[in-house]
Amino acid sequence: MIRYQAGSLEAFQEIYTELAPGVRRYLSYLAGGSQRSDDLLQETFLQMHRSRAAYNPVYAVKPWVFGLARNVFLMNRRSARRWAEVHESREQLPEFPILPDADSLGSRDELRRSIARLSPEQAEALLLHHEWGFSFEEIAGMLGISAAAARARASRGMADLRAALNGFQRARA
Amino acid sequence: MSDHSPQALEQLMRVIAHDLKAVKPSPRPFRLALQTAPIALLISSVVLVSLGVRGDSGILGPLLTWGASAAQFALAIMLIWIAAHEGTPAGRLPRGTVYSALAATFLVVVGITVSTFSISPVGSTLRFAGAMRIPLWVMDLVCGVGSTVAGGILVFLFSRLFRNSLAIRPAVAGALYGAGAGTAINAGWRIACPYSTLRHSLGAHGAAIIATVILGALIGRFLGSRRSRGPAGIHR
Repeated sequence: MIRYQAGSLEAFQEIYTELAPGVRRYLSYLAGGSQRSDDLLQETFLQMHRSRAAYNPVYAVKPWVFGLARNVFLMNRRSARRWAEVHESREQLPEFPILPDADSLGSRDELRRSIARLSPEQAEALLLHHEWGFSFEEIAGMLGISAAAARARASRGMADLRAALNGFQRARA
Repeated sequence: MSDHSPQALEQLMRVIAHDLKAVKPSPRPFRLALQTAPIALLISSVVLVSLGVRGDSGILGPLLTWGASAAQFALAIMLIWIAAHEGTPAGRLPRGTVYSALAATFLVVVGITVSTFSISPVGSTLRFAGAMRIPLWVMDLVCGVGSTVAGGILVFLFSRLFRNSLAIRPAVAGALYGAGAGTAINAGWRIACPYSTLRHSLGAHGAAIIATVILGALIGRFLGSRRSRGPAGIHR
């Protein structure tokens, strides 16, 4: 990022190569699997370019860019009400890689449906931690909550996810 | 590079390659807040230097005259520090911290106002008004408008420092540095203003702080919407 701030196009390309796939999946999750995630991804990197001076090297690049992606998404949504609607109405969730902890508990489809039933806050914290590998401190900085709250959301989300997947298992049996 | 459509990626690269001048990284939130301190101190001192220290400073004592203003000024810098965090995508503070800081500032300002009034009530006000033959409402107007203008100048200067802010809630970030500006101005103004009635302190000085909060929120919102529109780009 420092090389990019100094004017290196190669540095931008490296950042893009490294982060774009994950950011796209995150945006796809935020947008409820909508096709707009490509536009949002492009807008995120444009925003990053326009605001590259705003980055301070004390922050890790990945949470900064993911935070920016969330910012771009929310700015596009314009209001928290519509943000809630997106999560409440999501039926078509994007494909998530199977979470390591839930791997043995159910099929991909069951997992996807179980995540869709979690509260938006729990699902986001759970995925940011388990899928994208952010620490609870990084999640706290991105979401504007305390690290303890981030941990609690992810932990409750995982508990609810396990319960939902167990429910699917029992139904199968 | 990714599963992003190659055409869009090519366009993105073109735009970025077209404008790739070197930029200076933003300072950390704490340093950014510290950078605002001398400007805030300078502007809030203007009225103090022009009018001099209030006549009842001997009654109030150094703690309530200078100490209370120093505490207000420190709170103002803290609000600006929080605003700087709010503008950092990976560095936002918990909402509880933000609202607690705002509530603490409100309580401190009101507490100082009430303490000042209880120790030196309307005496100095009447002496000053009587000697100068100035109706109290004129002084309300002078202090209200004067500190709003001073706070407004500070908010505009802060908005320049915060031009790179990436706040998710730009109006909240703007309101925070607006509150910082208003509180900093009031910290200096209250040492010069001889009126300690609650009506004057809360009505004129309090209203000026609220006006700078609103101005900050409006500027933050404007900058946020300008950022989300961006310059003529490749999308939409």
